[in-house]
Amino acid sequence: MYKKATIYFSIIFLLAIIPQLSISAQVDEFKMANKFYQSKDYDSAIRLYKSILKQGRESAALYYNLGNAYFKKGDIGYAVLYYMKAKRLDPSDDDIRQNLKFAKQFSKIQMEGVTLNPINSFFVNIVDPYRLSTLAWISSIFFILFFVFLIIRYGMGMNTIFIKIGIIILLVLLVISSSLTTFKYHNEYIIHRAVVVSENSPVYTGPSDHSDIEFEGAPGLVVEILGESSDYFHVLFENKRQGWIKKEYLAKI
Amino acid sequence: MTGKIFMIRKTFSYSLLFLSLFVFCYPQVNATPKNITISVSLDRDTIGMDEQATLQVVVSGSMQNLPAPRIPTLPMFEVYSQGRSSNISIVNGQVSSSLTYQYLLLPQKPGTFPISRISIVYNNKRYEGNPVELTVLNNGTATPPKLSYESQGKNGQKKDYFLEAVVDKKNPYVNEQVTLTLKFYIAVQYYGSPELSEPTTTGFWTEVLGNKTPYYQRIGNRNYKVIERLYALFPTQTGKLTIGRAAIRTTVAVRNRNRDPFGVFGNIFNQGRDVTIRSRPLTIKVKPLPEKGKPKNFSGTIGKFNISATANKYSVEINQPVSVTIKISGIGNIKSVAEPVIPQLKDFRVYKESSNENVAKSNGKISGAKIYKEVFIPKRAGKLQIPAISFNYFDPQQSKYKKIATRPINLKVIEPEGYTTSTELPYPSPEIVIGNKINDIRYIKDKIGKTKPVGSLTINTSLYVIVNGLPIMVFVGLVFIRRRREKLNADIGYARSRIASKMARKRLAKAKSMADIKMGSDFYAEIYNALISYIADKLNISPHGLTIDKVKELLKTKTQNQLLIDDVIDLFQKCDYVRYAPSSITQEDINQALQKAEKIMIAFEEVKFV
Repeated sequence: MYKKATIYFSIIFLLAIIPQLSISAQVDEFKMANKFYQSKDYDSAIRLYKSILKQGRESAALYYNLGNAYFKKGDIGYAVLYYMKAKRLDPSDDDIRQNLKFAKQFSKIQMEGVTLNPINSFFVNIVDPYRLSTLAWISSIFFILFFVFLIIRYGMGMNTIFIKIGIIILLVLLVISSSLTTFKYHNEYIIHRAVVVSENSPVYTGPSDHSDIEFEGAPGLVVEILGESSDYFHVLFENKRQGWIKKEYLAKI
Repeated sequence: MTGKIFMIRKTFSYSLLFLSLFVFCYPQVNATPKNITISVSLDRDTIGMDEQATLQVVVSGSMQNLPAPRIPTLPMFEVYSQGRSSNISIVNGQVSSSLTYQYLLLPQKPGTFPISRISIVYNNKRYEGNPVELTVLNNGTATPPKLSYESQGKNGQKKDYFLEAVVDKKNPYVNEQVTLTLKFYIAVQYYGSPELSEPTTTGFWTEVLGNKTPYYQRIGNRNYKVIERLYALFPTQTGKLTIGRAAIRTTVAVRNRNRDPFGVFGNIFNQGRDVTIRSRPLTIKVKPLPEKGKPKNFSGTIGKFNISATANKYSVEINQPVSVTIKISGIGNIKSVAEPVIPQLKDFRVYKESSNENVAKSNGKISGAKIYKEVFIPKRAGKLQIPAISFNYFDPQQSKYKKIATRPINLKVIEPEGYTTSTELPYPSPEIVIGNKINDIRYIKDKIGKTKPVGSLTINTSLYVIVNGLPIMVFVGLVFIRRRREKLNADIGYARSRIASKMARKRLAKAKSMADIKMGSDFYAEIYNALISYIADKLNISPHGLTIDKVKELLKTKTQNQLLIDDVIDLFQKCDYVRYAPSSITQEDINQALQKAEKIMIAFEEVKFV
């Protein structure tokens, strides 16, 4: 009996400790990479940051530092890419926003006539500073509270005014919060965005190099992927222009 | 060219500055003379016998080496040359020069005398000046004491000329004015202006007060002409200071036996002997200022002063300047007057505008005024006052330090419409302004933060699903439970039926424990009760007053199983029988009854009651 318990406990302990060990290894690697960054060896820093990614772990700070290293190396495309990845994980971080904005200025091509759908940008502005997980948990709380009230009402049969109004309010809040969560999820995970990372990346009018060239793309341009065909992505630029870019010239966020 | 320069020097003996100017301007200077004009004028055209007239001859032309004019013999006058002055101007590259010769004419007899034919000859050409006329009136004024010719060193007689230096104070305070008077006494005739070498005044700040009009003084039996020259000396240090010798060089007339007043032109200018007359050096002992009563930060100003302050306006808007003129005037070395100290004012900002001084020399004293202009900018509205501004000096006459002050100036400061006061803070405005333009990305993060599997989303985690699924499950479960409970409450029969077998089983278990021959009657009673209440529960009827016949009837309406009904009736009858004849039972009967009861109950559970 005791033997069995000991085995169970050791297994649980090991399961708990193994991720801890690997996390501390990642922390060490991260610090090492920061040291490389400090000594301006950006290539080594990038290699180490990426090795953490290869181990299957990501964090806003990791992407942010990667973006910085690429920026310092002079690679605007990847800098913007990683800043956007970092921003998706932690949209409230001011450093990330600042550097993303700053890095975008250095793209050789700037889009003119960027118009925003007012309704869309209204919702974007609302959800922008929050993480998807935050919105999801807020929705969860309303969801649980809503059900607690339902349980009180229908499970226990308490049918006071307070409960009735509470159910209505919570239902409204639940609808709003879950809509926003869905919107955020759609905006950031269903709509695929990509960054042009390659110099000399022509934007074609169709999905083949026989098509006319609309214009020459440049690293740091952010596009929305509308669709794909064998070697090409059908992309939408910020100013609503469309075109086709070879897949290898883009990096998905 | 060198020769020409040499000639210029010879002719005019100008200063080096002029010389270099001429060299520089030589090409223009060498231009052909256009015209030479001679203008002759008299300072007055009518004089008395005891007066004198000045004859002025201005020779002007566009060249620089003009010759001296020839003056014709004027037998009615004694003529003295009074020197010469020159004026050269260069306008648009054109040189014009003018020479002014002055002659003093002393009349010999009354009458009207023309003066004409004053001429010069230049490049073999003769230029003549305009004629003038001088009238000498015999108005009977006393002839000035006639200066004699130089004495021939007669004994017992005073000197023909001497130079005296006197100071008004031998023991002044430092920076107090000492007036030095040089008196040149001359009892013989002299020609031209005496040439003076100024006395050395090391240790003094010296200001020449100028010459007094010559006067005549009789000393002993001789008439002296006295020329006085005054100096204001301000000792700049204490202790013994020496005023050096002054010297005068002049030409005195000597008796000339061959003198012919109507003779060759010009001999009257050249008759005489050059002499140098010196004064005695003077020693002065300079006192320091007394320490007693000396104000702090005393600047050393000595004399007698007044101070006044005036503003250019007395009603002003906020932040508009008021110019205040502070005038310190009086007797003393005005140059040493220090600027009055304006105290720190809380209602005004004060700026210096300008300062100037003017020095006047009157009555042998240096006096003057120093004027400071200060701009006062009121910081707030209301009745403000520029306070009295004070000034310290030392009065040497009273040997006292004096403090003088201006009257305070009252200002009415108005707040213009729409004026908003800015709060005065004790900090200067910023020196460096840093804009919001950034030059570089922000630095990397120190800590990796919380990591998560790449691409994982909270909404996909099992925790999230469970947390959100749980309330649904709880809700559904609770609703189900509630429904069931409601059914239970609504149908007691169903409830009784559900708990009937439970109760019966309990009773049977109790009966089983009594399954012994010794307590046979009790056992049967228990079996009976168990069965009767079980059936009552199952049929949802009261167990009280339930008889065997009644059970039989009820069972018949509820079920078609005749065997089961028979068994039940059989067991009830057995129980009844044992209750009234307990001795007839055997152990086997008890066991059989127990089995039968169990069998009945199992059978009943399977029976579907309508």
